[in-house]
Amino acid sequence: MALSTIVSQKKQIKRKAPRGFLKRVFKRQKPQLRLEKSGDLLVHLNCLLFVHRLAEESRTNACESKCRVINKEHVLAAAKVKSRFLFLSKN
Amino acid sequence: MADHNPDGDPTPRTLLRRVLDTADPRTPRRPRSARAGAQRALLETASSRRLSGQTKTIAKGRSRGARSIGRSAHVQARGHLEEQTPRTLLKNILLTAPESSILMPESVVKPVPAPQVVQPSRRESSRSSLELQLPELEPSTTLAPGLLAPGRRKQRLRLSMFQQGVDQGLPLSQEPQGNADASSLTSSLNLTFATPLQPQSVQRPGLARRPPARRAVDVGAFLQDLRDTSLAPPRPGKPAQFLAGEAEEVDAFALGFLSTSSGVSGEDEVEPLHNGVEEAEKKMKEEGVSVSEIEATGAQGPSRAEEPEGHTQVTEAEGSQGTAEAEGPGASSGDEDASSRAASPESASGTPESLQARRHHQFPEPAPPPGAAVLSSEPAEPLLVRCPPRPRTTGPRPRQDPHKAGLSHYVKLFSFFAKMPMERKALEMVEKCLDKYFQHLCDDLEVFAAHAGRKTVKPEDLELLMRRQGLVTDQVSLHVLVERHLPLEYRQLLIPCAYSGNSVFPAQ
Repeated sequence: MALSTIVSQKKQIKRKAPRGFLKRVFKRQKPQLRLEKSGDLLVHLNCLLFVHRLAEESRTNACESKCRVINKEHVLAAAKVKSRFLFLSKN
Repeated sequence: MADHNPDGDPTPRTLLRRVLDTADPRTPRRPRSARAGAQRALLETASSRRLSGQTKTIAKGRSRGARSIGRSAHVQARGHLEEQTPRTLLKNILLTAPESSILMPESVVKPVPAPQVVQPSRRESSRSSLELQLPELEPSTTLAPGLLAPGRRKQRLRLSMFQQGVDQGLPLSQEPQGNADASSLTSSLNLTFATPLQPQSVQRPGLARRPPARRAVDVGAFLQDLRDTSLAPPRPGKPAQFLAGEAEEVDAFALGFLSTSSGVSGEDEVEPLHNGVEEAEKKMKEEGVSVSEIEATGAQGPSRAEEPEGHTQVTEAEGSQGTAEAEGPGASSGDEDASSRAASPESASGTPESLQARRHHQFPEPAPPPGAAVLSSEPAEPLLVRCPPRPRTTGPRPRQDPHKAGLSHYVKLFSFFAKMPMERKALEMVEKCLDKYFQHLCDDLEVFAAHAGRKTVKPEDLELLMRRQGLVTDQVSLHVLVERHLPLEYRQLLIPCAYSGNSVFPAQ
């Protein structure tokens, strides 16, 4: 299925979606909007994919700079690159 | 019991009785009383069955079997009995008995059932069933016939056969109750009908043997005695303050009686607890209601004493402190209380055995409280350190906490996807990115929903968002992504699937 299944998991990754957390975040951000019941699952899917892409990009950056550890610069650069999807303003 | 016939001419009834009699004393031999009881029941049933089976065929065979059963006594008899049921056994007896007893119902039946009735189901099931049958016989005759027969008939085929005969011979009067009414012995026939009820009830597990009942009584008596003894010496006349005493007792138990007693056995503990409560009450009258409450809770849940004990101990510590003050001039300070609190759990655990012994005696209670107080003071220090910090940690959760907690979930996923060690600063950076991402996400969704003229964000909006992000393309549909990344439970919720009955879930 997902990438994780291919690689041996050293640590257990919870695959549950924090539905309450997502709903709360959405409510806080947009109290006037309502979210459908399956919507938060899709939001969670979206987050998963976003994090996945971000991680991949960060990993690539770190490998390119030949570092064994991912630095925040790598993450920043990855976010900057990926911002075209999300229109994020780089911080 | 009474061997009406000499060995030379044993009837199934006498043989059965003999077997039962012998079986009774035998059972104690067995190490397990319960098993023995079961054995008895089995024996009875086996013998009855065997007898009943034989009855149909040959009376002599029955007698032989009974004889053999009687002779083989314990082992063999049991084996035989196991094969038969008390009912069958009784049936056999009845089949043979009526021959002799029909004409002399009362004389024969009454004396027999009388002594037997005395022994209720306490004894072996067979015995009780047998005896019950006898009394039943008497009342059955008087009772309206036919009630028992139908019920019994369905139970045993043999019984039905006999019943038919009996029906013809006698009207069935049911009511297998063991009324000792002096009714004629037609009851012998009725017996068979009555018997089925008895054996059934008797055969029910645990009914025949009454060890649990006995135990309860013993315990109660014991406790009662304890109470009496405890009440008498300490201070007679404080029964009204039972609750208060309980609280006091809690203090006394601060040592750990409660904890130990509860840990040991719920029932027993409750009893001694009460006893101790009374005594403690006598000793210390102050204890506050809280203590008593705790005590009550502790007493209520002796089995789960651990937690209530902890509370009680804490409160008891306080109470014991108070008692210590009462007893001694020492003023209870916060430290002492804390120490006593600490001490009580420790002392409680440390003196479980002593507590039990004390429990029984109920006398050393006054001694322990002061001892506990002393003990509490010493071990108080380490606990004292622990106690104060506890309230500090609890506090209102900041808004960020749950937010951070939720984000941390995705941060962990990030580190997992990266498959490389990450710096802490990098993780914080990820958190910030996620925050921004969520904000952006909500804005986009709002725009999409408004574009569709809705106030509710629907999955279509989400799909549009993902399409814009490039995750969903014409080649890769949303369902594919869902299947790839989400666990099965969520997949079922998101992807409409056809189920039996021409239904689709989730409904579209």
